[in-house]
Amino acid sequence: MSFMGFLLSAMALAAGVGVVWSRNPLYSAFCLIVNLLSMAGLYSVLDAHFLAVAQVVVYAGAIMVLVLFVLMLLNLKAESGRKLGVVRPLAAFAIGSWIVATAYPSVVDNFKKVSIHELQENLWRSEGTVRAIGEELYGRYIVQFELSSLVLLIGIVGAVMLSKRKQPAIGPRPGGLGGKA
Amino acid sequence: MELLILIVKVVVVMNVALMLASTCTWLERKGSALIQDRVGANRAGAFVESKRWYLKPALPLVRAMGWLGLINTLLCDSLKGLWKEDFVPSGASKFLHALAPIIAVLPIMLAFAVLPLAPDFTVGGITIHPRVAPIDGGLLFVLAMGSVAVYGVVIAGWTGNNKFSILGALRAAAQMISYELPMGLVFVALIIVYGTLDVYEIVEGQQSLLWGVVPKWGIVMQPVGFVVLLLAGMAETKRGPFDLPEAESELVAGYFTEYSGMKFLLFWLGEFAEIALFAFLLALLFFGGWDIPWVALPKGAWWAALVGHLVLMAKVLFFCLLQIVIRWTLPRFRYDQLMNLGWKMLLPVSILNLIVTAVCKVAA
Repeated sequence: MSFMGFLLSAMALAAGVGVVWSRNPLYSAFCLIVNLLSMAGLYSVLDAHFLAVAQVVVYAGAIMVLVLFVLMLLNLKAESGRKLGVVRPLAAFAIGSWIVATAYPSVVDNFKKVSIHELQENLWRSEGTVRAIGEELYGRYIVQFELSSLVLLIGIVGAVMLSKRKQPAIGPRPGGLGGKA
Repeated sequence: MELLILIVKVVVVMNVALMLASTCTWLERKGSALIQDRVGANRAGAFVESKRWYLKPALPLVRAMGWLGLINTLLCDSLKGLWKEDFVPSGASKFLHALAPIIAVLPIMLAFAVLPLAPDFTVGGITIHPRVAPIDGGLLFVLAMGSVAVYGVVIAGWTGNNKFSILGALRAAAQMISYELPMGLVFVALIIVYGTLDVYEIVEGQQSLLWGVVPKWGIVMQPVGFVVLLLAGMAETKRGPFDLPEAESELVAGYFTEYSGMKFLLFWLGEFAEIALFAFLLALLFFGGWDIPWVALPKGAWWAALVGHLVLMAKVLFFCLLQIVIRWTLPRFRYDQLMNLGWKMLLPVSILNLIVTAVCKVAA
């Protein structure tokens, strides 16, 4: 764990800083991809192969491609010369440190309670990570799991409804792809 | 010792991937020539002469290779790629421009890590598993690497800094995301049938006979899944009738318009490695891998593993050839036809297939 773990954590942190630092939104997106991939690497170092692969498939593979898609279609230019002022950085710093201050103790407490070796032993005992995650999701958390799928369904229906809404016609528009604009 | 075995495995798997990719290059060059009633590459090295006595015995072999076009496709083309000017369009990031072809190749090569090349065998008391990474989510790993390969295309299109590249990249990204869905659903149906995510265990699950008559291959258990995966995989490799991202009549060369030299060849290497990877998936998941129907080889013997490997390779080569023949036979789709096929045909069919499979599994 130790060496690869530290390397991947450093990569994730550097990429995370890059997301905020870079002026070009596309570079920010690329940095976010590196960040997500190094998180997947961290999972696989901790023997959570299934979680790592799921992270790559869902976040790096699907969501970030869509984000890149939108950024490329909008053709954004690098933001140059925009002044941030004083208030916003200060506010961001205050909110950030508030989140860290509240989250830090509970995270550290949890780490003290369960050692990583114990977690890994639990994983090995349950014949691979896929089975372990499946039993948790479809056993103990079945109601929450199904409810979250309902939320996704509502999202899809909402997207279809929004895109199907009748728009005011702009001049004559013959149907079909070959129609003249 | 274990480290040594691992290193040997990595070298062997990498070589299998690269050799298959270069074999596909040659098959494509000569095969397309045969299909179009041309002669194809047959000059480079075909008339080689030498006065040195120690080179004389090798001359007939070299001439034969030249006549078959092997020297032209495997040696001359890559050397030419190395010597060409490396052109970077103005205004593009040099780093990203160089990164894109690497990202197009690397994930495909990584996906080979979870594919078993032969059944496990024992030599000198050591059991060898002929695959690099025996992780329990093997099938998902292949899918994940396929989705990471999209970035190579997207970055290439963006650094090209022109309309053709960006249009090609957008087409490629949309196409690859759309066809990943039916592909993933077919994988889920297969996982339900064989009850595991591990590619090796799926192949092992196909070794027995169904009702003592037909081999329990994926094509028998999942005929609809096979058709869907064949179509979706052809679209994922961006070839065949689905090569709209690089439609040369509309987009010059699509996302790699601005690439030259070795970087351009890397995209080709990625494409042919993708063909080989997909042929591997079809052979392993649907055609029993190293299984010879109605013939049981002894488990664990090294010669049985060798025979199994050769059988698997024959199946893989057959599917490489099939893809190349399809690519040179069918004309290109229109883009809306491609999207309709993906979303209105393959996706509903694969969802239906999944439901029927699940019902059968519960009933059985």
